[in-house]
Amino acid sequence: MKPGSKLKSAVCDTEVMVIRCGEGTIECGGAPMGDAKPETPDTLSPDHSGGTLMGKRYVDANGTFELLCVKPGKGSLAVSGVALSIKDAKPLPASD
Amino acid sequence: MTTAPAIPLSGSADAQLAAMATLTGSQEIAALSGATLLGERAALNDFVVPGRVSAGGGCRLLDTRDGHVALSLARPEDRALLPALFGDATTSPNDDEELALRLSREYAAEIVKRGRELGLAIANLDEQPVGPACRMSDDGPAATPSPRQPLVIDLSALWAGPLAAHLLGLAGAEVVKIESSNRQDTMRQGDPALFARLNQHKANVAIDLREQDQRDALIALIRRADIVIEAARPRALLQLGIDANQLVREVPGLVWVTITGHGIAGDAVNWTGFGDDCSVAGGLSAALLAASGTVGFAGDACADPLTGIYAARRALEQRKRGTGARLVVSMSGVVAQALAAERERDEVALAKSLQNWADARGRPFPEVELRPAGRVAELGQDNATWLEACWSC
Repeated sequence: MKPGSKLKSAVCDTEVMVIRCGEGTIECGGAPMGDAKPETPDTLSPDHSGGTLMGKRYVDANGTFELLCVKPGKGSLAVSGVALSIKDAKPLPASD
Repeated sequence: MTTAPAIPLSGSADAQLAAMATLTGSQEIAALSGATLLGERAALNDFVVPGRVSAGGGCRLLDTRDGHVALSLARPEDRALLPALFGDATTSPNDDEELALRLSREYAAEIVKRGRELGLAIANLDEQPVGPACRMSDDGPAATPSPRQPLVIDLSALWAGPLAAHLLGLAGAEVVKIESSNRQDTMRQGDPALFARLNQHKANVAIDLREQDQRDALIALIRRADIVIEAARPRALLQLGIDANQLVREVPGLVWVTITGHGIAGDAVNWTGFGDDCSVAGGLSAALLAASGTVGFAGDACADPLTGIYAARRALEQRKRGTGARLVVSMSGVVAQALAAERERDEVALAKSLQNWADARGRPFPEVELRPAGRVAELGQDNATWLEACWSC
């Protein structure tokens, strides 16, 4: 997995762009994400159904992973079973 | 050392200001000049006429395989996106030589598309703006005539939006600037002299947008407003429970101005834009290149002040019409329109002004008459007045 890759959810409409990543499986709605959507969608796990928000960035606790949501969906994001959280909005420049 | 010739497009700003002065009868608007509003940040900061690096330093024009792109890396976290932009984890985020080399291997249109998807402020020198200067949805009910001073709620930050609200204040409105207490207008610290000129005489309310009761108080305040100015991406407002279209439909006469980089049609709704990259997207650097044969920025982030002036004019015109509306203003569209107007007025003079500008590279910006800076409210200074008054209404 390299930065800039796009991943699609196997259970919902969510698509993310990888900003940063390390060792681990990127999941959405409880199922691994992939380059393409499967023919028949997996089932959304109730434990991972918080949903994703367009344009939000999601990070793990130690900042190894950062994913940008480019298409929202019903599943929520995790790495190897551990949920990711929303990163605060980018600070604006001091002046543009 | 002599200063530079006039900032390109300042004549177009003069025309907008003159129209606004006629519309409102405001002596204070009549006394302003385009040269001052387009040149005041540069004059306050002793900027010089830029080449490939913008006057403020946050944006640069770089070569690709097939053209030039303007890339803003002004936000602290922009550089962390560069590995994703190039699809290579080994990208050094802070090495500008490497950045130039990597960009020179990319196609302009592709890298701009990718950068925008990542949330970077990036533009193609050869692009056309995707939308017009202003798109209006006039679905609001008519205003109830009222003798009181119009109320402007300014939710914006940085330059264009605050300037628009400031001009509405000069035209007679009462202006309340709203800041998020955990994400303040960075210009207050970043450029206090310009901040003072854009935000003088405004009341200031600070709100923690993470708190539901404070969001409710904000919406209640918006419902009392005649004009709202904001520059947030629509999804960000919706995620906070602020639905601009619904408020325009419900609040009689409410004029809602959304300032964007590139409009809200299609993918552009998610693109970021700042003054210098939006000037490039509006065709200004392409015009400079055509006139002078050199690649560079014209003016200082001029999409910002041009948009502030234009947005204020459109809001005042709509208010005169007496019906509510949502006006979506595009910074790149405003630049393209100003350029087209100047071309229409006198194409030769426009080309000459761009040529003169390019010849003045490295010289100080033109001197402008600096406006005095009046009272600037502290963050949240007027919470009691505006929020409590609201809870009782």
